[in-house]
Amino acid sequence: MLKNAILTLLSLAIAIGLGGYSVWYALNAQDGVGAIRIGQWTAFPESGTLAADPYSKARVAREGVLALGQAEGLAFVAERDDAGDPLKRECAYTIEGGYPTARFWTLYAADQSLGVIDTGKARQSALQSYEVLRQPDNSVVISVGRRPAPGNWLLTGGSGKMYFVLTFYDTPIASSTGLSDVTLPRILKAGCNA
Amino acid sequence: MRSLLHALILGLLGAGIVHIVVLFLVPEFSERDAWSRLAMASDLYKMTRLDAEAGGAPVVKSVDPLFYAAACRFDLADGLVRIKAPGDVPFWSASVYDRNGHNIYSFNDHNANGEKLDAVVLTPAQMIDVRRDLPEDLQGAIFVEAPIEEGIFVVRAFVPDESWKPIVSRFLEQSACELQDD
Repeated sequence: MLKNAILTLLSLAIAIGLGGYSVWYALNAQDGVGAIRIGQWTAFPESGTLAADPYSKARVAREGVLALGQAEGLAFVAERDDAGDPLKRECAYTIEGGYPTARFWTLYAADQSLGVIDTGKARQSALQSYEVLRQPDNSVVISVGRRPAPGNWLLTGGSGKMYFVLTFYDTPIASSTGLSDVTLPRILKAGCNA
Repeated sequence: MRSLLHALILGLLGAGIVHIVVLFLVPEFSERDAWSRLAMASDLYKMTRLDAEAGGAPVVKSVDPLFYAAACRFDLADGLVRIKAPGDVPFWSASVYDRNGHNIYSFNDHNANGEKLDAVVLTPAQMIDVRRDLPEDLQGAIFVEAPIEEGIFVVRAFVPDESWKPIVSRFLEQSACELQDD
């Protein structure tokens, strides 16, 4: 009798414990169903719409996100550089290459919660396409780091994990048919001072 | 030994069921979704700033740092809602979300008449009524037909640099979210 009770309790504990934990784990993972990867950049074009999968619906509800609509824009997030190493706030990076068609884009360095990182300085850790200097072939080279750099400079600071968020506004690539032949800039590590 | 294995397998099966049930219950019972956060910050039909610029922590997170945003909650069961903003900003975009924060419809300043934001959100049934006899002052407005009752309207505006901050702030402060009774 006691054996049966213990076994029932064990099954229940496994069911509730493992079931709850697996949902929590799946919702916290950055990668998910419906992601589109271009180089190191990931986007979720369907996140926050009615066509989204149950996981991103739960994530939207839990985090209180109001995702950009298709006519507004599409955000890409990078958490690794082109060599596959995680982005760190104490490192300097170069982001270079061309950008797909859009009215404009913004780029910012973000912390774990994808909010802009607080540099503690008057300069924001964000750039937008109207203010950047371009190469003769219309590509853009951006230096990311805590030290001022000539050309386009994206200020970072602090230490720990970092993400780049690149958002295109009023762009045809937001309708997923345009996503197949899109190229996004590369993220190259320039050096670290740990 | 057999019964222990039996219990373990039963537990794993149960875990699968619990996983699915919890996953589908999270959106129903979340108290941290956008609607609940906005409800804590302000009333229905009141434009509220979402970015941190207005003071305090941002109401709804993950807003582009180069953007200001404002939102209002509405309930179409009360009647149609009209959102207006006088605009001369470099870029604005607007979205309609349902109660659970799903994006139903979005548009931007290039879709609008004369770059001014003037939109009416209404249900398909209300649309039939309005179409029968279109009021004079609603001509030129963007009609967003949404099969929902409670919802959120969000306006986002681009702040290219420091000098635009007061202008974009004024754009959002002058935006209105009104219940139209008819």
